[in-house]
This record gives sequence, C-alpha cells and structure tokens, in this order.
Amino acid sequence: MGRRELISGPNFSGRSGALMTLLRDGAFAAQSFYVGPYSEAALSGLSSTIADEIGIYRAKPEIAPGAQARRAFAPLDFAALGRREPQTLSGGEQVLLALHCFSLSAYSALAIDTAFEQLDRENREHALAYLDPHGPVANVALIDNRLPPLPGWRTTERAADTAEFDCDPRRPVADLPRRDAPAIDISGLRFSYRRGPDIFRAVDLSLRGGAAYRLAGPNGAGKTTLLKLLVGVLAPTAGAVTLGGERYRPWRTGNRAIALATQNPDHQWCGATLRDDLARRRAAFAGHAPAERLSEARNGDVAASLGIRSLDAHLYELPLAARKRLSWLWPLSGALPWLMLDEPSLGQDLNTRLRLAEALSGLVALGYGVLFVTHDDDFAARVPHRVLALGEGQIKTT
Amino acid sequence: MTPNGAFTVGLVLIAMSLTNPGPRGSAILIALALAFAIIEVRGAALVALRRAALIVLPLALFMGLLWVGIVGKAPAEIAAGAAGTRAAALIYVARLCGRLLFIVAVVQLVIMRFDALTPLQLIRALALPVAAKRVLVITLSLIATLRHAIDRAHIALIAAGTLTRAASLRNAVHSWRLIQAVWLSAVTIMLGRMRDKWPVENTLSLLDRSLETGSARLFAGDDRIWLPITVGAAIMALIADRIGAS
Repeated sequence: MGRRELISGPNFSGRSGALMTLLRDGAFAAQSFYVGPYSEAALSGLSSTIADEIGIYRAKPEIAPGAQARRAFAPLDFAALGRREPQTLSGGEQVLLALHCFSLSAYSALAIDTAFEQLDRENREHALAYLDPHGPVANVALIDNRLPPLPGWRTTERAADTAEFDCDPRRPVADLPRRDAPAIDISGLRFSYRRGPDIFRAVDLSLRGGAAYRLAGPNGAGKTTLLKLLVGVLAPTAGAVTLGGERYRPWRTGNRAIALATQNPDHQWCGATLRDDLARRRAAFAGHAPAERLSEARNGDVAASLGIRSLDAHLYELPLAARKRLSWLWPLSGALPWLMLDEPSLGQDLNTRLRLAEALSGLVALGYGVLFVTHDDDFAARVPHRVLALGEGQIKTT
Repeated sequence: MTPNGAFTVGLVLIAMSLTNPGPRGSAILIALALAFAIIEVRGAALVALRRAALIVLPLALFMGLLWVGIVGKAPAEIAAGAAGTRAAALIYVARLCGRLLFIVAVVQLVIMRFDALTPLQLIRALALPVAAKRVLVITLSLIATLRHAIDRAHIALIAAGTLTRAASLRNAVHSWRLIQAVWLSAVTIMLGRMRDKWPVENTLSLLDRSLETGSARLFAGDDRIWLPITVGAAIMALIADRIGAS
C-alpha cells in the first residue's frame, strides 16, 4: 500500500515548503514527478507537441523495467491530440496531460500542488481514484484547498504563519454606489481556433446586469475562450454582440466594459509593479469609468483590502496566492460594469473563498454583472447565479 | 532516407551556395534542390517554398528600398569610387536575396521531408552528441516560451484596454508595453519551471536519456543514392564555372 499525504491549511501556512521538504526525504522517493499550480510548473516546457511531452517522460523499459507495469492514466485521447502544442490545452487538460505523463514514467512518487483544483468533478474523481492508496502509484503528496480528509490518506493540518497578506475582498464592495450594468446580447456567435473544430456554433445568449452567471462545462469545453471573445482577445468567426443595445466589437475597438480576472493571475499583468499596472488601466479606461473609482487612492484601498499594503510591490515578487488575490483588484474596484472571473477561487483557502463569494454577491445586488468560471461547486453555491452550460458548441441557460 | 542523410544534403547545398557560384554552378545547385524537393518532399515542397518566400520577402523589400531606392548604387561601385547605377544595385540585392531564399528554402525542404516526425523525434534521430541535441531542444523550448509569453501579454494588455486585437494606432503607441510584458512573462515562465518542476524531477537528465538513440545507423536507405549525387553535384558546381571562365 502506498504512502498518501494530504497537506492542508490556510494560505501562507507553508504548505508548498512542507511539500518540498517531504520530497527531499529519501524515504518518500528518490525522485518525484511534480505537478504545480499552473502550466509552467505542471509541464516540462521542453516539448513543442503533446506527443513530445509524453515522449520525454515515457519510461524506457531498459532503464526502468518495472515502470511499464503501471496502468496508464488516460482520461483524454492524447494520441489524437499528439500534434497540438501543450500550451494550447486548457488549464485542466494540462493537468490531465501531466498525470498521463507521470503514469507512463518511471517515477514512483507524485507531488501535486493545488493543480487538482483546475479539474472538473468527473476528472477529479478519476484522478483521485487513480491515486487510491491501493492503486498503481507508490507515494503521493497533495496540497488541495477543497478536498476533505481522504480515506487512507494521512492529513497534515498546518496553521497560518503570517498575517502579512490578510485579505477581505468584501471591504471594497461595501462603499460602492449602485451601478446598472448594460445587458450583453450575443447572437449567432461562431468560433473555432485555426485548423480546429468549432468551439461555438451559432450561440445565442443574453446576459443581464444585476445577475451572476456561472459558465459550466468539462475541461476544454471553451469556457475561457468565451471570456476571451467578450474582452476582445479573440475575434468570432461570425455573429454579433451588443452592449446596452449598441453594437460591441471589443476585438476591433478595444475592451470598454469588462474587468477580467484570468485563471492564471500572471496572464493579466500589464506592468512590473502594481502601481504601473493600475496606472495603465486607469489611462486606458479614463472616460469609460466613474472617476472616483479610477483614482489611485481608491486602487490603493482595494489593494490593502486584498492584503497588499504598497502599490510599489513588484507583482512577480509576491507569492502566487497573493498574486491571485490581486487579480481580483480591478474587478472589485467597481470601475467597470461587468466582472468576468476565470476560476477566481483557485489556490485560495476556505475563508478567502467565502469572503470572495460574499463580495461578488454584493456586487450583483448593486447592479453589476458577474460572469464566472469555476469547478468549485461550494464556492459557486454561495453566489446566487444562473448556470450557462457549455457543450457541443452550444451554451444553454438553466 | 534518414534525417542525417537529408541534413547532410542540405548542409552541402548551403555550403556550396556560400562559395559564390557563377550561373552554371548555381544552376546545378538549384537543379539538385529541385530534384530533392520533387522526389523526397513532393507536394509539401510548395509549402516549404512559400514559407521561405514569406521569410525572405520583408528583408528583400527593405534591402531594395535601401540599396536601390536610397543609396542608388552597388557596394562594389561605392568601394571603387564609381558613379554607380540603380540597375547594379538591383542586381546586387537580387543576388543576395536569391541566395538567402535558396538557403531558407533548403532548410524548409529538409524539415518538411520529416513532417511526419515530431520535433523531438527528428532531433533524436540526428547523429549528434546528446549535448548538441539538448541545445536544439532548449532552443525550440525558448521559441515556444516566447510565443507563450506573447500570448499571455496580449491577453493582459487587451483585457486591460491598452491594446486592441485589430491593428490600431493605440497598438503602435503602446507597443513598448507589449515588449516589456512579453519579456517579463518569458522570464517568469522560465523561472517557474526552474524553481520547482525541473529540480524535483531532474527533468533535464530525463531529457538527455530520451535523446539517446543507442546504436542507430548514421546513414541508410536512400542516403546511399542521395549522398554520392550531392557530392558529385558539388564538385560539378565548382568545376562548371571554372570551365566556363577558361
């Protein structure tokens, strides 16, 4: 029976450090396979195609005779996806690819740092079943903010060791005045990536201000793609979008209404320091947002509520969990009428998730529009919302 | 044909094109490259030629503007202190860009010959020391990292209202911000890998092992036909212009 370690606790309790210490313990493994929170720490970065990523890790029988006996973990048809670049997979699919590579490798131990939070429910259950203590994997260490204690796993509960990044996302929302977000109407939307299948086929969708919508679907369904279309990062193949009844083409004229928080916070910085980043946003949206919500003082207050005391903080020098919280700053500032958040609760402890859910509910009550993507059912249940179910190129409102 | 054979043919063609061959020598080299394209690469040769043209075209336009449009004479005429003509400048630009087009096309043809292989499979099949293969893999990795960083920076700056997806004056004004964001992203992506993933897994050692090919043969199959033809063509290209000159 394999050794199973679940490392629990709030953010900034040294869980990642504890994981690394465990991996250096020779009794756990001589060498481990590591799946970090985002693609740069989940994939090797040495391959241009999915087939090559698998090729690097696939154990050679002459080097590791026993490795071939392990059952492969293959929730997706990676052979069919072999020519694609690993970076074009969604976050959840990248985690599945990493697990597939591990299952074919000679590594006996596996370390996962919050990466399972990117998996949809079905894939998470598959992955946990594969890691069952009686299954084919020897030793596993896992950090996860959402899993309860698991049978057969030893749980180590850690306590916060700093109050430096204390965060309360409800505070910036408390003093915001009402704002009626304009409706977003989408008709006949089609989209496909170059040489790829249709992601959306003639989608009609109506989003009203003063409401929250949860974009739901399996890993790789196109949830992030829809957000990219609405902020203008991608252009649809066909179809029209209106904002407040007027034609809205952000891919041509620029984003003017949507505050986006990306899944990986490092996909959204447009400056080296927080001050630079916010100054550029303020300059870009001047005239499109209420002046008082664009002020540097207001931004500083919101940053402090999210645990960052100085606007001169270098973004990439902050811990990942703190960067993720800062990714909510622009949406929570109330500068723009629509908030779109991609997996906002990723890597966040329970208290922070509850507070964020409350903050979003507060914004909805004030008339803002909220569209969020999450596989965190508990978090979603705390924000009154309608579900937009993605599947087979369509979006159904339930 | 093996990748070693195809790359040897390509290297000989490129080396010969750099010896400044005359019209007859050039004709022999072009004929050999065309034969390789038709026999070995087939329909994909058109893709290779189109890619080569797209790569060389911007440089050709710039060179034409500079030498024909602005300078108005060839470098040799400037060195000789002659008055010079735009026609001579045009011939100079055409020869230089023609040679560059030939080199890029040969590289593309050789790569397209093994289009069915993934980059790692192609590099693995080359008869090179593992250290040299590792350099090739890491070079490709850096290119992919830069592309990923560009994608990330685009998302950030478009969502933040700084840039637009379509061409715009705003994009021109803020292009330096894109460059800054791309470099920051690229550096942090690399650091992200090197801080945790690679040291925990010894990923680079794993790569080295996956690049070892054991006792694979250097040349095989059609290499035995193409290599003598290539060496013969190279000798003919060297001799042909001397015969013509005498």
